[in-house]
Amino acid sequence: MSISDATVAVSEELAARDDMIVCRGVDKWFGDFQALSGITATIKEQEIVVVLGPSGSGKSTWIRCINRLEAHQSGQIIVDGIELSNDLRNIEKIRSEVGMVFQQFNLFPHLTVIDNITLAPIWVRRKSRPEAEEQALSLLERVGIPEQAEKFPGQLSGGQQQRVAIARALAMEPRVMLFDEPTSALDPEMIKEVLDVMEELARSGMTMMVVTHEMGFAREVADRIIFMEEGEIVEVGTPHHFFTEPAEERTKMFLSQVL
Amino acid sequence: MADGGDVPVIGDKPVIERVAARPAEETYRSPGEWVRKNLFPTPFNSFLTVAVGLFVLFSARGLLNFVFSEERGWDAVRTNLRLIFTHAYPEEQYVRVWVCVGVVAVLAGLSLGLFASRGDGLRLRKIANGLNAAAVAIAGGIVLREPSVLVGADGETVRDGDGVVRQSFAEAMTDRWGWWLVAAILAVIALALRRVPERSDGSHPAVRALDFAVGALAVPVISAWVYPWGHYAFADGEFIAEPGRTVAMSTKLPWTVMWVLAVASLIAGRWVRSRVDERALARLRVVVSCTWLLVPFVLYWVVLRDPDLDWDRILTVDMPLALAFGIGGGIVLRWLTKDGIGEFGRISAVALLGLAAFHWVAAFMGWYPMLQKVRISFLLLAVMALLAHNFSGEAAKRRRLVLAWFVITTVFHYFATVMNTPSTVETPTEALIGGFAVTLVVAVFTLMLSFPLGVVLALARTSRLPIFRVMSTAYIEVVRGVPLITILIFFVVILPLFLPANMEISLFASATLGYTLFSAAYLAENVRGGLQSIRRGQYEASDAVGLSTVQRTVFIVLPQSLRASIPPLVGQVIATFKETSLLAIIGVFDILRMANSVIPAQTQFLGIKREGLLFVSLVYWVFSYMLSKQSQRLERRLGVGER
Repeated sequence: MSISDATVAVSEELAARDDMIVCRGVDKWFGDFQALSGITATIKEQEIVVVLGPSGSGKSTWIRCINRLEAHQSGQIIVDGIELSNDLRNIEKIRSEVGMVFQQFNLFPHLTVIDNITLAPIWVRRKSRPEAEEQALSLLERVGIPEQAEKFPGQLSGGQQQRVAIARALAMEPRVMLFDEPTSALDPEMIKEVLDVMEELARSGMTMMVVTHEMGFAREVADRIIFMEEGEIVEVGTPHHFFTEPAEERTKMFLSQVL
Repeated sequence: MADGGDVPVIGDKPVIERVAARPAEETYRSPGEWVRKNLFPTPFNSFLTVAVGLFVLFSARGLLNFVFSEERGWDAVRTNLRLIFTHAYPEEQYVRVWVCVGVVAVLAGLSLGLFASRGDGLRLRKIANGLNAAAVAIAGGIVLREPSVLVGADGETVRDGDGVVRQSFAEAMTDRWGWWLVAAILAVIALALRRVPERSDGSHPAVRALDFAVGALAVPVISAWVYPWGHYAFADGEFIAEPGRTVAMSTKLPWTVMWVLAVASLIAGRWVRSRVDERALARLRVVVSCTWLLVPFVLYWVVLRDPDLDWDRILTVDMPLALAFGIGGGIVLRWLTKDGIGEFGRISAVALLGLAAFHWVAAFMGWYPMLQKVRISFLLLAVMALLAHNFSGEAAKRRRLVLAWFVITTVFHYFATVMNTPSTVETPTEALIGGFAVTLVVAVFTLMLSFPLGVVLALARTSRLPIFRVMSTAYIEVVRGVPLITILIFFVVILPLFLPANMEISLFASATLGYTLFSAAYLAENVRGGLQSIRRGQYEASDAVGLSTVQRTVFIVLPQSLRASIPPLVGQVIATFKETSLLAIIGVFDILRMANSVIPAQTQFLGIKREGLLFVSLVYWVFSYMLSKQSQRLERRLGVGER
């Protein structure tokens, strides 16, 4: 706990909230290459954290470790009080509490939009079909594409597909949403429609962890920004602090390249 | 498929805009221009055209001379059609065969009516082109074939010093007026079709491809009433040739009824489809699919085989047993899906699996006697128990699981009883049925059994657990390294030696088993190809929404990978279908053996083999071609929603 308090600057109001995701000294290797080294951070309930960093800095690897799409090798990851280990039951429990949105959408191409959304609620949450469909339609309403319910993913634009993917993740009623570069595979004119949905989600009080290159989104929506490079957390701070008075040299360098 | 198989339409706009995607066709001002541009563009290409054209013409001439030669004994085929298709199935029971054909006709009509996609339709112009081509081909054939041999008044061919005497060319051309007439009729129909005016919206007039196919099927059926395609007679237990001028009533009447049944059920299917909503249609689709899966068993074991049921035993042993499993298993499954049973339920399911496995071990060691179907029932129950947690929670879901179990048990026990009951149908050979029917039966059962096995093998080969991976890989590599005929001979000759003393296995069953194990290995490799085509993101997304491994496999991985492997799978289906001809070698009276040894041994057709073999090849080709066409349609239809 001491490490996280030392490095993470949080407002008092935030600090009072419960911990949602706690990482302590997380290490991860791909063969000889160390992708994550000593990641330590705490994400509070209802907090919006944006993870920034150059490509190859380990941001996606970190976020994928949080719902065990990748296994970390040492350190601790605790999500909503449950520690991730090789125990399958814990992994199942965490995955049903953590929603994930991918860069490549990863919708199921052989199912219609509505079936994409209702599949997990029916088979994992054990909802009845009518109930799940009603929920799916209201989620589609929320992401702004209720009329596309019966289409197949291949018939939608990239932005619409990503919004379906968000609805699919929300259908599991997760406590946390992870976004892994949700707008990177989109054409420029479709980025905004996805960011709008994410902003709305943030305002609704969802805990969110977002890996992105959208500086505007980071500045407007984030409670905190975590900057990573070479598998390490370099700097943590509020958007104001981060964009106006970054402390670290590497952060300044990164900002000068992207802004 | 928003409209249950029709061209998917969202709102009022078709999703697939074929017209826009079609590149502009090259247009030619005259047929002469087309010939110049496509056949004789350069001197070298002209040479190729002429050389290949001559080769084709000579081959066609050879084939025509062979097929239409006066020396051909086509009567051997025409008289033996029943033998070729069903071998010695008793004449007085033949209505059973017609019931089978009828059930398939009705089911096919219903399925097509309910679910067939409308497609683009066949343009009348295209049909006209086809008819024109047929007319030209017939005319060409008339001219190409050598003049007929002259036959004297005594019925003998006229000979002179050089051999047989033939008609002059002019005589031959006038002598073949019947064929000229056919060509002319086709050309006239084509002309008439071309004259059909365009529709008011400017589109080309077209018919549905299915309607056209059904209409085209009427041609052979009607022609059976006017032309003697085959004539069949059976007397004193011997097949005899009997000159007749049209097809026997016992053949043309049933075929006509079959056609009417198919058309009626097609219309009925369409009518139902127009009246029910999307959800009901989806439910009907499931019912019809399940019926298709059950039909081979019902037709072969119940209709064709007509089991001589022993009701005393059924009432005292079989029925109580089935009820015990149905009700007892239902209670177990209901208990396993109770809320909050959690880990304890899974452990119980595994324990049940252990018990089921133990019964099999006991059987091999001979510890205690037990009916085979009881062992299988335990195994089925264990598998259901392992899957049960997927259906826990909601009352309706639990009820459905119990109901499904009851249906599975009933169906399984029914067929297990029926299969173990002797048949009332007496045939001269050991086998119930032969000829093309046995080809179909073995192919259908092989596919139905090897398909699930192949999928399981493919999944095992890609499994993370080394024990499954190694076993599956070893099995697949061993089977693929052994020739099919070796496996068949092994199963037919050697397998019976390994069986316990009181257990018998028929030639038909052991051959089907051999085919199944062989085909499964190849199917597994095809499915594995499909499995590898699935992107990693699909696995990650399934994991991220919390699906279990079984759910991921059933809902996400298999549907996509099977779809991706349709072309090789259908290739394997066709291969299996053709490989059934090896049955002739291991002693089954299949269609090939009819042509190769049975017909040439009949006194009136002694030694006549080539005609039969040609006909058998034609039958094989027709079925294989239909299968490959269907696979192309299937691919196109399932392609919706891909991209």
